[in-house]
Amino acid sequence: MDLAITSLGVVSPFGVGRASWESALADPQGAMAAAFRSPSEVLDAEKLPGARTAEAWGFDPNEHLGKKGHRTFDRLTKFLIAAAKHALIEAGVKDADGAYVGDLGPERIGICSATAYGSLDAITELNLVAELEDPRFINPSRFPNTVINAAAGYVSIWEDLRAPNTTVVDGNCGALDAVLVAVTHLRQGRADAFLVGGGEVVSEPLYRALARLGVVARADGTGVTMGEGAAYLFVEPRAAAEARGATILASLRGYGTAFEPPPSEALLVHASADAVERASREALAEAGLEPSDVDVVAAATGGIEPIDAAELAGLRAVFGDDACIATPKALHGETFGAAGAFGLASGLAWIGGAPVAPCVQGSAPAAVRTVLVSSVGYYGNASAVLLRA
Amino acid sequence: MGRVFVTGIGVVSPLGLGVDTFGSALLEGREATAPVTGFDASGLDRDRACEVTDFRPREHLTAAEARRTGRCSAMAVAAARMAVEQSGLGDAIGGPRTAVILGTTMGEANVLGQLEARWIHEGEDSVPPAALPRYGSTLLPIHVARAVGARGIVQTLPAACAAGNYAIGYAADLIRSGRCDRAISGAAEVIEKLQYAGFARLGAIAPEHCQPFDKERRGLIVGEGAGVLLLESEESVVRRGATPLAEVGALGLACDAHHITRPHPEGAGSLVAVRAALAGSGLAAADVDYVNAHGTGTDANDKVEAMVMREVFGTQQPALTSIKSMIGHCMGAASAIEAVSCVLTLRDGVIPPTINHQELDPDCAGVDLVANEARRAPVKTLLNNSLAFGGYDAVLCLSQPEVLAAEAFA
Repeated sequence: MDLAITSLGVVSPFGVGRASWESALADPQGAMAAAFRSPSEVLDAEKLPGARTAEAWGFDPNEHLGKKGHRTFDRLTKFLIAAAKHALIEAGVKDADGAYVGDLGPERIGICSATAYGSLDAITELNLVAELEDPRFINPSRFPNTVINAAAGYVSIWEDLRAPNTTVVDGNCGALDAVLVAVTHLRQGRADAFLVGGGEVVSEPLYRALARLGVVARADGTGVTMGEGAAYLFVEPRAAAEARGATILASLRGYGTAFEPPPSEALLVHASADAVERASREALAEAGLEPSDVDVVAAATGGIEPIDAAELAGLRAVFGDDACIATPKALHGETFGAAGAFGLASGLAWIGGAPVAPCVQGSAPAAVRTVLVSSVGYYGNASAVLLRA
Repeated sequence: MGRVFVTGIGVVSPLGLGVDTFGSALLEGREATAPVTGFDASGLDRDRACEVTDFRPREHLTAAEARRTGRCSAMAVAAARMAVEQSGLGDAIGGPRTAVILGTTMGEANVLGQLEARWIHEGEDSVPPAALPRYGSTLLPIHVARAVGARGIVQTLPAACAAGNYAIGYAADLIRSGRCDRAISGAAEVIEKLQYAGFARLGAIAPEHCQPFDKERRGLIVGEGAGVLLLESEESVVRRGATPLAEVGALGLACDAHHITRPHPEGAGSLVAVRAALAGSGLAAADVDYVNAHGTGTDANDKVEAMVMREVFGTQQPALTSIKSMIGHCMGAASAIEAVSCVLTLRDGVIPPTINHQELDPDCAGVDLVANEARRAPVKTLLNNSLAFGGYDAVLCLSQPEVLAAEAFA
């Protein structure tokens, strides 16, 4: 695998566009302060007092989508469109006015987009109507948002992208698994380039579920801080990127994934160190690299102690006890299905010179060329992608 | 050694469980449509569906499995077990070189529906925390992987009504690219109140019957179930001396980028997808014996699909059927359950009928519809067509074993 990344479109607590992302990551302490805030702009402060989140603060869809045509879109759809638009322009396939330019046209560009809970808000909204009033009163214009591939479908419509559109739902591993989907589609010649990544939104039902499970962010800084946003990498075969003179930010060189069942039939939620280890080794093998070639590992550490501990054990089995393992979610929150895309975005920023922080072990390297991004699901799956300058 | 074979199939359908029951009901032209029993549909002005009425999880799952799965995953597990049993792989199905790739639209929608109903009516404190992780669209392949011992790639592709084709075609791609040796592929879906109400509010549900391509068609009938194809690399099949049921050709994909629920009026994406499936499988249009239509029975779908059939196949039309006339539109599971039917047609040489047919809609003229009675005809090569929410177009080529040119997959 040698796929060039020729742009990054991102919506995050730090703003919209790669520049906002990179300037925030250049100052990790400042980034943390900017991202993690209260009160929420999304959750109802009366119903959920004290909720602390990492939201796309002040996100204004009109600024990125124009004033018309997106009234019925949900928050996720708007994030994805804004990220896609920035990625397409920065990759040089669209000009600043939004017109396609050059030989790489929208009929040959597809989308591989991950989310874990992207339809939850819409389903809950309609369930409230159905349960408290009557199913016949649900608003049909809101119904499409209950279907989890709708958000990415709207991106294809908005940007006229006619190569395959694929939504991936693999819990926290979705955005890294979207890399495998893109690689596979490219190999079959179904497209010449893909927007690869995903999005997630801060949502009341998800917040309530995490709170009920006792894992939502606590005052002492432990627990899961719900983040949100969207990130798309524009990905194409290296030779094609070079031929069209695109700027190559880095390349995707290896992918690995594994599943291990829990030790007991009675368990459902669990993470497996063995799965993490196998996924990392597979990604390294595909890239033809050794663990010592990796400058930093972007761990999935998200604030659920047993899950984080299993991941760390798996990563240590591969990379040892001295390698630099960073926890980028400490800066931007847990974005679930989109987390792998944010991990890759962090890797790009580090390769570009941003300081690696915070680290749970090892010390930040002076320069970063190779990053392994790890994702860990809540049900035993784990995935890894190798990013190289 | 680039071929990918189907060595096992399993199905949980509105016409019964298991491929024998399902296959014979299809050839008899039986219809599963009946008043919906899973929830109160009064007030929606529509009340018919094709429900799976004879699925009892404990006949297929262990007690522990039945406790941790919702209905959607349970049906997927049952269908996967049937496929594994037919393949004769036994315990050899497991391990890190086995992938589980499943599609769906809403996954464990009824688990979520029940959780939310309890939260809404009885308050948050009444919801048991242990019940919460039982929701998640990602759970389908996880439950199936646990049931069969698979430890490789586990993925959910929620490609709405094209999800089965997406999952099966992509799983075959993964085998061809050497990322796994075997894959459990397919899709599952349950009928759930909210989504039924949504279809009803969109005006998509027929009052009585699904009548694909008929002049009097009034819409779709919602169905449910699970369909699974067990796929194996050529090397694996040869090594263990297995007899394949069918071969998987290419998956043709495109996106209309036109409308979130309606197909492109000229079938732009669908044409690209059909042609990609043919080209990727090394086939000309004239090589296709049969097309399993998406055939939902809605005005827009059937019109566009017939247009694409005329455009691609001209005057040499392959046989065309929509078994949705019998089992309804099983949404995410539709193209997977229909792929099971396709494998049976390749094996047995009988094409199931499109029932409830009275008069071909002039807008659908030019197709060779297998109307009302099954048709005996040797089928070497077929296309399984699907169009979906989101503007998705997905066409999967299936054939008898070793009919496709080996070079197509070299």
